[in-house]
Amino acid sequence: MTDQKSNAPKVHHAAKRYAQECRKGQLSRREFMTRATALGVAAPAAYGLLGLAAPEAKAQTPQMGGTLRIQMDIKAQRDPRTWDWSELANVCRGWLEYLVSYERDGSVQPVLLESWEANDDATEFTLNVRPGVKWNNGDDLTAEHVAHNIERWCDASVEGNSMAGRMSSISEDGKLRDGAIEIVDDLTLRLHLSSPDIAIIVNMTDYPAAVVHPSFTGDDPVANPIGTGPYRPVSHDTGIGAVIERNPDHTWWNEGNGAYLDRIEFVDLGTDPAAWMAAAEGGEIDMTYQTTGDFVDLLEMIGMPATEAITAATLAVRFNQDNAPYDNVNVRRALQMAVDNQIVLELGYNDRGTVAENHHVCPIHPEYADIGATPFDPGEARAMIEAEGLGDHEFELISIDDDWQAATCDSVAAQIRAAGINIKRTILPGATFWNDWLNYPFSSTEWNMRPLGVQVLNLAYRSGVAWNEAGFANAEFDALLDQANGIPDADERREVMAQIQQLMLDEGVLIQPYWRSLYRNARPNVLNAEMHPTFEVRYQSYGLS
Amino acid sequence: MTDPLTWPGIFAQLGLQLWPVWIAIVLLFAVSISFKRHLGLYGKLFDSTIGMFGFTLVMFWVFTALFADLIVTHDPLAQFSGMRNAGPGSALRDPAGGYPHFLLGGDALARDVFSRMVMGAREVLRIAPFAAMISFMIGISLGLPAGYIGGKLDTGLTFVANLVLAFPVILLFFLLVAPEIQNTAIPRVMAGFLFLMPVLFFTVLLNARFFTQPMKRNLYVGAVVIVGLWAYSGLAFNADPFGVWGMSPNLLNVFVAVVFVNAPTVFRIVRGITMDIKTRDYVAAAQTRGEGPWYIMMWEILPNARGPLIVDFCLRIGYTTILLGTLGFFGLGVAPESPDWGSTINQGRRLLTVYPHAALAPALALMSLVLGLNLLADGLREESLKD
Amino acid sequence: MLLFLARRIGVMLFTALCLTFVVFYLTNLPAKLETLAKTQAGSRISDAEVASWLDRNGYNQPMLTRYGEWLGVVPGWTREEADGGMTGRCYRLADISEPGAAPDRCGLLQGYWGNSTRFRADVADVITARLGATGILMLWVLIVMVPMALLVGVLAGMREGSRTDRSLSTFAIASTATPEYVSGVVFIALLASSAVGISPLLVSWGVIEGPVLFQGNARSALEKITFWNFFLPVMTIALYGMGYVARITRASMTEVMTQQYIRTARLKGVSFPNIVLRHALRNALIAPFTVIMLQIPWLLNGVVIVEVLFSYPGFGWVLFEAAANNDIELLLAASVVAVVVVLLTQLISDIGYVYLNPRIRIS
Repeated sequence: MTDQKSNAPKVHHAAKRYAQECRKGQLSRREFMTRATALGVAAPAAYGLLGLAAPEAKAQTPQMGGTLRIQMDIKAQRDPRTWDWSELANVCRGWLEYLVSYERDGSVQPVLLESWEANDDATEFTLNVRPGVKWNNGDDLTAEHVAHNIERWCDASVEGNSMAGRMSSISEDGKLRDGAIEIVDDLTLRLHLSSPDIAIIVNMTDYPAAVVHPSFTGDDPVANPIGTGPYRPVSHDTGIGAVIERNPDHTWWNEGNGAYLDRIEFVDLGTDPAAWMAAAEGGEIDMTYQTTGDFVDLLEMIGMPATEAITAATLAVRFNQDNAPYDNVNVRRALQMAVDNQIVLELGYNDRGTVAENHHVCPIHPEYADIGATPFDPGEARAMIEAEGLGDHEFELISIDDDWQAATCDSVAAQIRAAGINIKRTILPGATFWNDWLNYPFSSTEWNMRPLGVQVLNLAYRSGVAWNEAGFANAEFDALLDQANGIPDADERREVMAQIQQLMLDEGVLIQPYWRSLYRNARPNVLNAEMHPTFEVRYQSYGLS
Repeated sequence: MTDPLTWPGIFAQLGLQLWPVWIAIVLLFAVSISFKRHLGLYGKLFDSTIGMFGFTLVMFWVFTALFADLIVTHDPLAQFSGMRNAGPGSALRDPAGGYPHFLLGGDALARDVFSRMVMGAREVLRIAPFAAMISFMIGISLGLPAGYIGGKLDTGLTFVANLVLAFPVILLFFLLVAPEIQNTAIPRVMAGFLFLMPVLFFTVLLNARFFTQPMKRNLYVGAVVIVGLWAYSGLAFNADPFGVWGMSPNLLNVFVAVVFVNAPTVFRIVRGITMDIKTRDYVAAAQTRGEGPWYIMMWEILPNARGPLIVDFCLRIGYTTILLGTLGFFGLGVAPESPDWGSTINQGRRLLTVYPHAALAPALALMSLVLGLNLLADGLREESLKD
Repeated sequence: MLLFLARRIGVMLFTALCLTFVVFYLTNLPAKLETLAKTQAGSRISDAEVASWLDRNGYNQPMLTRYGEWLGVVPGWTREEADGGMTGRCYRLADISEPGAAPDRCGLLQGYWGNSTRFRADVADVITARLGATGILMLWVLIVMVPMALLVGVLAGMREGSRTDRSLSTFAIASTATPEYVSGVVFIALLASSAVGISPLLVSWGVIEGPVLFQGNARSALEKITFWNFFLPVMTIALYGMGYVARITRASMTEVMTQQYIRTARLKGVSFPNIVLRHALRNALIAPFTVIMLQIPWLLNGVVIVEVLFSYPGFGWVLFEAAANNDIELLLAASVVAVVVVLLTQLISDIGYVYLNPRIRIS
């Protein structure tokens, strides 16, 4: 699919080291792929570094034509950089493409870029724009256009622009730093970073990073569908559905390697999986966007096999340390001890994941240090709560009104109750929950996966950061995290991570029951539509057999 | 690990587990039937097969709610490993000295369906009759003067009642029973108004009767005012100094919304009956005797309107039960984990096509209670018409 | 009669005004506006971003002013944009940005129903499209419900106390005791599940081709209504509404059957079916007629539940979506529609009552 010969002779030195680690088993292959490709090593070359052949593309090529009906929420569209739900991006994937993409095997693949290279200390990235890419209005894609998009991402003055945070190493005062982008020629541009950041290319795979035409004014990308992809929207009704068809007036740069389907129909059936089930039984949908809990099995039973993506996505049942009694570390630790994460995984998430250890670093992260978990000891938990004089206190656990999240919290609450500690549950509707999500004393939040262990810690647990919902402020933790951020080598970083993780446990920051596996069900004749770890629905490569 | 139960075994165990209910029902019927000549309308109920059947159903759930602690086999909130969606009669993996089976199976969170259904009866019967009662007192306190005095008062009250009735119930619930509203003063203010009505009702009721005997009046009215205001401070403003009366903001919110929806209908019924009865001779007689308007309303008209009102009261409890279930269906109001039937049905229905027991048990319970109340109302109506 | 109509319509308008103000007040509480900002601009945005979003979209004016804007008695807010264009309530509704091009006021009085924040579309378009869908559903509900209810009521009331009466009355009571969220769920399990109920049986006998007998989801009815995708939602609503109408019919029928003229006819030897059809029926149907009319707004409740349960995007579904997302102008329009439906059916039932029953005159 991609031609990256130019990269072959000059492989980034860090990538070679990663390959060594991977061969020794210190680095998972998935993580190796993420990091090597993030540095600009092409995926086949990265496999080559491991002494492996790149996996063959799926033997079965889809036939051309056909209609695919997908169950997915259809939300009101808005400016791509402010997208807060992957569903918003999925609708537009057929015409709005990305510079790079994150693959199921953990690699980062070029899309509208042909290739990229990082300098030795990852402070300078050269991006080579793919030649021959045309917008569907006839314009050519140029480096100028790419620079325009990066500048848009850096603009923090737009409410809800989540790309701004991801571009911090090239922005200043909420906008693009002068001189951060250098346009070398029509198809080449260079990013000058203010600090080393190997995540910057990975961040461009995120769903708000869709590449828009310079004429796009920041409103509705469906009403004004200028893009580079092979499809175009036919209709889009919020809450009801959307229809996409192949664009006959446009020659796609990747002609022949996708765009098999004639027509894609998204059907919004609400949030109740029972309604999806009913629609699937009635033969009205071919594929779900994401299936959770018992419905994975139920849909398999009616002839829609599931595909799985193992991820570091999780549910953080966190305490907010700015609120009594959770300002007391003994209370937090006691509540942790009262909960057996294994049982929460079984009862709350149907055993569809792996047990987590209350420190928000996942075994699939390269720097993960195995330091053991919080002991499960309800007797001791009860004794500690009583020692703090809270024997009669009624705790309250808040969660959003969502099937698996509510079930998990119910399960956590039941365990705490079984330990003899009073607790009540509160469930808030989705629209209300987010009003105060940072400040609830004891509540749960869904966290999606980030490729590196330090990424979520930086986002959510560093003192004073915007999403620090735990109210965790610990100078020692911050210092250790700074130290970890500066260590590119996973093994060296692991030593610091062990201290960080231990600190998280000692401080009883959160109850983190499990790492989620994600599922999607589709009819057997749907090809290339496996569940994606970041919920992408790339219908331009789907097809029917 | 014990063996799972088969259906005959399950029914036998269910019957056994419900023993306090059977004893209470047999006692109640034995006593009622032997004294039925002295029990007025209630006694006559035992002449009507339909009424008696309805009454049995209702009392079954009332006693189940009363003796719930004796009946349940497990803690309705406890989750047991390995019992997710377990079928009826499944044996526990590790009973640890507790009851060895889930009689009606386990729900999606591995809780005992039977115990939740039994405890759910308590939740439902704690709110529905109380809410219906408050609605009735409000409807009566406003409907009597509107019907009897008429004029501007009637026009104004009728307009307000019609205004509330013009609201689609669901819209009202969505607007009123929301977490954002709970944090404002609106439910408190509404509760402050709505809960004041019963206190006023009893004060006026007793004052109208005993104002000629100041000693007695002061005693009765004083007692009502003290107890009434005590309960009022606790229920409406959560400010009971002794902490006996109280309602969580969530429950208060639901309660206020349900009362608010029900009261105007009661008002319309009472107003209609009052307008009918006030043309009767005995009202005219009382007027010529020089009785005050409140005496006539409370002690002449109201007792004569009791037949249709009792019937409607039974129906309204049933309707309130359905309304609470509707709230649960939309995930509004009632506390999570709560075993109340509406939310249990809503949770259970998701997996209904594969594990029907978790939703069917509370659904049948709800249906049978509402059916019982309707049949009871029907029986009462028939018997009261025979007068 | 004209005066009566004029007064009723006046009351109707005043009621709608009061009601929309209540809805407006409850949807514009500060916490609700914050919810709205978060659903519109991103669920994890900061408080400062919320404030700036509310400010930019005209939500920071006094509530009464904005209610006036919605009604069209107060000029809509305007602001000059950095690029020289104008924006504001009326500019956005008319989709123009040239200064001075938009009208001053743009509310209900000028015919603007506003914009739906949930659907990003004109409220009038959303409401009319969805109301049409619900109209079809209600039509079928009435077609199923009314004859069934009248039949049950008349058969039961014909001979009071008979076995037919007892069993039909109990059936009617049972149907009113089964709310939509119970019967709908049971129907799906019984008729529209490929795992339990009768569908697997029928498939194994080879009676039906597809995996299920009925569709447990009515989304496809939007494009093409078939018996198989519309039966369950229609039955679910009709069943709950039926019991009450049947009971009223029965009561009215039993009353008529005890009247003198029926007795006289029987003594004259007219056959029983003749008495029922010729003499009793017309008089017995007055009460059910008014009840059926009054039942229509009642069914709205069921419509919301059923449309959500079967994901059929009609008016009830819009109401649910608007309420769940605090879509202010859509909710206002929906409540106006609801009030009009309630009061209109009341009016029709009053007029029909007079028309059917010549003994009553409107004073």
